Amino acid sequence: MTTSGPDFEGRNWEGWTEPTIVDVAGTPTAYRRAGTGETLVYLHPGGGTREWTPLLEKLSRHYDVIAPEHPGFGDTPRGPEQDTWEEFVLHYDGFFRALGLEKFHLVGTSFGSWLAAELAVFYPDRFTTLSLVTPMGVLVEEDPFIDIFRLTPAQEDERMFNGRSYPPAYQETEADAIVQRYYEMTTVAQLAWSPRYDRRLSFRLARYTAPSLVIGVDDDRLLGTGQAATYAGYLPQSTLLTIHGPNGEPSGHGLTIEQPDEVVAAIVAHTSRAS
Amino acid sequence: MSEPVEFFGIIEGGYANVPYAGDRESKTNYIDLPNTFYDPIQGQRGLETQLELLASMERHGLDGAGFTEQHNGPIGLLPNPLLGATWLAARTERMKIFVNGPLMTAYQSPVRLAEEIAIADTISKGRIMIGLPLGLGAQYHALSMNPVEARAKHAEAHDLLVKALREPGPFEWHGKYFDHNYVNIWPRPAHEIEFNMPGGGSAETLELAAKRRYTYQTVLNDRTAMAKVMERFRELCRAEGYEPSNRQSAVVVEIHVAETDAEAKREVEDLLLWNFQNYYEAPAEAKFPPGYTSLSSARGIFASGFSLNTRKMSYQDMLDNNWIVSGSPETVTQKLKELTEVTGAGRVFLGFSMGTKPRWLVEKTLTLFAEQVLPHFRPNGRPLWAEPDYPQHGYRSGLEYSVKRDADAPPPRIVKDGYLVDITKSRFDPEGARIRPWAEPDAR
Repeated sequence: MTTSGPDFEGRNWEGWTEPTIVDVAGTPTAYRRAGTGETLVYLHPGGGTREWTPLLEKLSRHYDVIAPEHPGFGDTPRGPEQDTWEEFVLHYDGFFRALGLEKFHLVGTSFGSWLAAELAVFYPDRFTTLSLVTPMGVLVEEDPFIDIFRLTPAQEDERMFNGRSYPPAYQETEADAIVQRYYEMTTVAQLAWSPRYDRRLSFRLARYTAPSLVIGVDDDRLLGTGQAATYAGYLPQSTLLTIHGPNGEPSGHGLTIEQPDEVVAAIVAHTSRAS
Repeated sequence: MSEPVEFFGIIEGGYANVPYAGDRESKTNYIDLPNTFYDPIQGQRGLETQLELLASMERHGLDGAGFTEQHNGPIGLLPNPLLGATWLAARTERMKIFVNGPLMTAYQSPVRLAEEIAIADTISKGRIMIGLPLGLGAQYHALSMNPVEARAKHAEAHDLLVKALREPGPFEWHGKYFDHNYVNIWPRPAHEIEFNMPGGGSAETLELAAKRRYTYQTVLNDRTAMAKVMERFRELCRAEGYEPSNRQSAVVVEIHVAETDAEAKREVEDLLLWNFQNYYEAPAEAKFPPGYTSLSSARGIFASGFSLNTRKMSYQDMLDNNWIVSGSPETVTQKLKELTEVTGAGRVFLGFSMGTKPRWLVEKTLTLFAEQVLPHFRPNGRPLWAEPDYPQHGYRSGLEYSVKRDADAPPPRIVKDGYLVDITKSRFDPEGARIRPWAEPDAR
């Protein structure tokens, strides 16, 4: 059976590159791959799809970078039964097998870090190192509750960049971008509406005993500043690193967009220490 | 053939002693207005007023009374509307009780809801009618229900609810969202429950209502939009191979009657503005959580500035767009006739109060409605439930009980002196009460 691939007509925005599509148990999975060196799989946050981002470009100067799009994001469709974290974990197991990946570095940002944490729990021997950037997915009682599903795009930007103005990263028209955001937030909501954390990570993460790096920020106004330290506390061989903001200002949740050089440097230092 | 239009009086229990919605950062009154604003004394007043006015619909001559389920705020004080329904069931005799609420997805299982419906239907002697809304988007925020699963879970919950109410138990249920080894509700309802599906015009809800032969209740406010959606519903019914009764088409409208048009405006203008400025005000993110609506709807809602700004609506706007029916008895009679003609609705839910009208004013408007508007629709002076062929369920007297009860039901039994004994007779006829000799089953 042949299926027609996604229609890439009109995808001419900055950073757009055509993805490769690989079949993973019936899910045509989009991914981008570039660079040489040790293999590093990057799991994207709850957005930022359909492009080769500056972060990925900078990582690819050090690694063979593979950046898949999760089911229900970008150009990877989500089937009706792909509605739990376990299904996403199994999907990635299939993706790694489809690409013949055995031992590699795993990096995840925000929503992608939660996914990376689940993968590390289920396949602790597969990942040479684990890096979680501005993570989400653990319960931090001390942090205030921020309802990420009730924020307007403007409020979200404000919280991503701690009030620093940042040019809107519209890839297509504003209307298309809003619909794309609604679509991808639907996938986030499918997994993370309630609860907005995985209680079991608090004890399951002990299974991952290889070196891990948790990168936090000065003031994460989107998901709470306590996430990074809490993750680091649950991971046995962890290093907690706070990357400070530009010009003495507090860094924020949009770290990988605002300060990709610092993030890449930290990951490079971490993986070379571990080798 | 078209049946006489059925009129329901709706009273909501809005609690208006709260800050102005436009003054609050989150705007919405459906999710997180702190309940420290709730005063139990004021709350009692609100609930009593709502329920007593609803009960009064019967003596005013309406065919039924109805109200909605609301959560987490001052929009209404009946988060479990079946509790209100049982109160009404005990206080009234004949009219229908329309429970426009239960959010099936808010229950751990719809079987629990089936049990509550069966209780209310038994106490009311078969007068319960149930609306099965998907729930407002804000309610998915309020109750932490996953909006992405809303439609699929609602569909499965519906099928299980209806089966639990209508089919004999026990039976098994093994669905995606609900799993039961023994669905077996006691009590069972007193009659076959009528269902009503409220909707804002989405294709999915229209199709489901047509397929299930339920009443579709448009929650739209604009009459032209109402008429369009009702016609689409009837076309879908015809596509299913049947001509729907006009009772399958239902509309909701806010109503106020006074001596003159000018007096109606004077009485109700500011109260309606309170509703429009405090109930509907909310950011799109609160009303349409991710997954709650389709991508094409999301495009319309988020990208092209969503819907009408109800906060800016004046009394005249509401009248002009037929969002409300308000005026003298003559005006209201004329407008209601137009409404049923234009929309084809055979069921009209008349919103007499959202909770802000003082009780005396609701009583006044209800009296005028009953005595000066309703006679135009009921020239014989009888509500539908007073018609001789109107179905009755349950029983009303010892006589009716003894005649209608299942005479073949097994009598209660015990084992005594080696016999299985009927205890309804054993006291006065010990020999005749013996059914058969009793042998203990073999000990294992």
